[in-house]
Amino acid sequence: MKIKISGVYILLIGWCLFNINQAAQAQTEKEKKTPRINLAYHQLNDDLPYLQVDVKTKNGRRFEPVEGVDINVFFGEETAGGFMGRTITNDKGIGVVNLDEKFSVQWDTLPSSTFIATLTANNEYEDASAEVEIAKSRIELTLETEDSVRTMKAKVMAQEDGNWIPVPETEIKFVVKRLLSNLQAGEEASYYSDEEGTVMAEFTSKVPGDVDGNIILGAKFEDNELYGNRMVTKQVKWGVPLKVSDSFGKRTLWSTRSKTPYWLLIFPNLAIACVWGAIVYLIFLIIKIKKIGKANP
Amino acid sequence: MNTTTTALEEKITSDLLPQKFGRAGTIWTSVLVIICLTGIIGYYRQLQNGLGVTGMRDYASWGIYISNFVFFVAISLVGSLITAIFRVTNVGWRTPLTRISEIIAVSAIIFAGLIIIIDMGRPERFINLFIHGRLQSPIVWDVIVITTYLTLSVLFLYFPLLADMPILIKNSKPGSSINKFYRFIGSFWKGTTEQVNLSGKAIQIISIMIIPIALGIHTVTSWLFATTYRPGWDSTNFGAYFVSGAFLVGAGGVVVAMYVFRRFYKLDAYITERHFDHMGKTLVMLALLYLYFNINEYLVPAFKMKKAEEHHLMGLFTGEFSIIFWFAILIGMIIPVMVLIFPRGRKPKTMFIMGVFVVVGAWFKRFLIVTPTLLSPFLPISDAPESYQHYLPTWEEWAITMGTLAGTLLIITLFVRYFPIIPIHETIEEQENIKA
Repeated sequence: MKIKISGVYILLIGWCLFNINQAAQAQTEKEKKTPRINLAYHQLNDDLPYLQVDVKTKNGRRFEPVEGVDINVFFGEETAGGFMGRTITNDKGIGVVNLDEKFSVQWDTLPSSTFIATLTANNEYEDASAEVEIAKSRIELTLETEDSVRTMKAKVMAQEDGNWIPVPETEIKFVVKRLLSNLQAGEEASYYSDEEGTVMAEFTSKVPGDVDGNIILGAKFEDNELYGNRMVTKQVKWGVPLKVSDSFGKRTLWSTRSKTPYWLLIFPNLAIACVWGAIVYLIFLIIKIKKIGKANP
Repeated sequence: MNTTTTALEEKITSDLLPQKFGRAGTIWTSVLVIICLTGIIGYYRQLQNGLGVTGMRDYASWGIYISNFVFFVAISLVGSLITAIFRVTNVGWRTPLTRISEIIAVSAIIFAGLIIIIDMGRPERFINLFIHGRLQSPIVWDVIVITTYLTLSVLFLYFPLLADMPILIKNSKPGSSINKFYRFIGSFWKGTTEQVNLSGKAIQIISIMIIPIALGIHTVTSWLFATTYRPGWDSTNFGAYFVSGAFLVGAGGVVVAMYVFRRFYKLDAYITERHFDHMGKTLVMLALLYLYFNINEYLVPAFKMKKAEEHHLMGLFTGEFSIIFWFAILIGMIIPVMVLIFPRGRKPKTMFIMGVFVVVGAWFKRFLIVTPTLLSPFLPISDAPESYQHYLPTWEEWAITMGTLAGTLLIITLFVRYFPIIPIHETIEEQENIKA
């Protein structure tokens, strides 16, 4: 019986040790995560273009942003000469690198350019890279008012053999630029260019503008396979002029002492006068009592 | 006047005349003086080094000074409850309690004003409040109502005292300093019909006037908080909530004082078990009322649990302030109700313990109203040292706070040393009326 019990114990201990060993091995051989990089080209008007990387990794069934990893971005090829810059992803897994000026000649002369983003393997993540080829494009935005009809017109063109040619069948969005995001400016969410590379939409919104009614209207491609993200904007007086309610110098609860509202001067002061009037009367009664006392020794 | 009446007068007079401190009185007064002196040392250090010597920082900019201020304002409300409301509603058993409540009111309101100046850090700038004060600011309203309430409370203490002045003058050593003082403030009182009528008229005016002023002072104090958009303060109920709490702590304070004076001045014949019984019932009613407002103030926001208020509420219910919170709710309201609801609980000694519970609970409750809210701003605390997220009063703050509390008790103690704590003349008249 004694021997039997000892055997059970030995088996139990052996099983425990095996599990502990397995767990330790799993810990040391922790699988590296596979990141996924999305590389996007952005340009606003004729500003310096920039490349935005968006790094995610799969955790279970959902993708999570990868924070704090170094991403190298290259122009044309993944060499030291093509190195554009390095960015560290933020808590949303996003990083940005501007197009370096040293590539401006190449960028201006070539009809299309390739950008590469790479992540070098580290303790946590495996190697990853992404590549995007961007063709040179242009959007011409025209804003016209005729017989009180406000029309937005955008012409999409791409460079071919050194010439700018219209691009048909390209999705364009008209937007009103606001502080935090953009509002839809046309009746439709997006429009497709015709054979002349042109899209037209009527502007009917009553969007508040600045004091003169200025708003910023834009036409843009979004995640276009050939042209990336490009937007052109123009300022126009099509907004509803903003009426600033200026209470400065008026009698308000937040104004200076000399600008106290009349109601706040009248009612509290009336109450104070009544109460302190009564207090003065009470002091007068003390004086009267005193006089009576002195008259009756 | 027959012999029986004269004997009754003499008995009441000798029972109620102020007495010299015995050994216990001397020790008590010395302890209070020492605590006050420690407070003065703390304040000297604060004046010298600024508010940096306190635990108050960017976020908890109001600490135990303002908690103490709200507590003093609250306890002072008892003057209007016992003296004015009971007088106007003709509550017969109020006589031995009126002067106790009035002196509590006066001493508390004096220190309420002082603690605000202490909290300012730069007291010499207090004058700017009068020179540059804006009527739009609740702080200015508070200064106005406190000054008014103090003046009225002093008058309310003084007018009924006039009738006792001839007795005090007669029973003090002629030529002594105190005799001269008595003569200065009341030698003109001869008790003529005209004087009695004028004094009665004055008391009647004050009784009516002081009720809205007393409600005003506490409502305005509550508006210092409620007019600020912050978690825990953003409430339209705050005025009523503060007033109900003030009545409770004031009544609790009177009960404690009643027991102490009864025991040490042997006033059993004047402050009877009947008085304790009545005050016990009053306390139950006020505690239930305050509990009702507390449920309103905490349960409704907790039911909604808005994200921005969650930190504040959870800090009170289960977090950093939970021990103080539940302690204040339990000893300040629930336990007193459970004990005093039974006639056996309304006996003097139990009443005294419950009175202390109510007062202590009320002090901590005021702290909970003031500080946790400041540590839960709507925008997260950022770019500040970790220590700024908590508030721990320094020894200087405690010394000053305890000094002001001791100062309040010292004023009451010195008043009782030189003036009768139960109105002698009024008691004689009352007893004669009963006999007649």
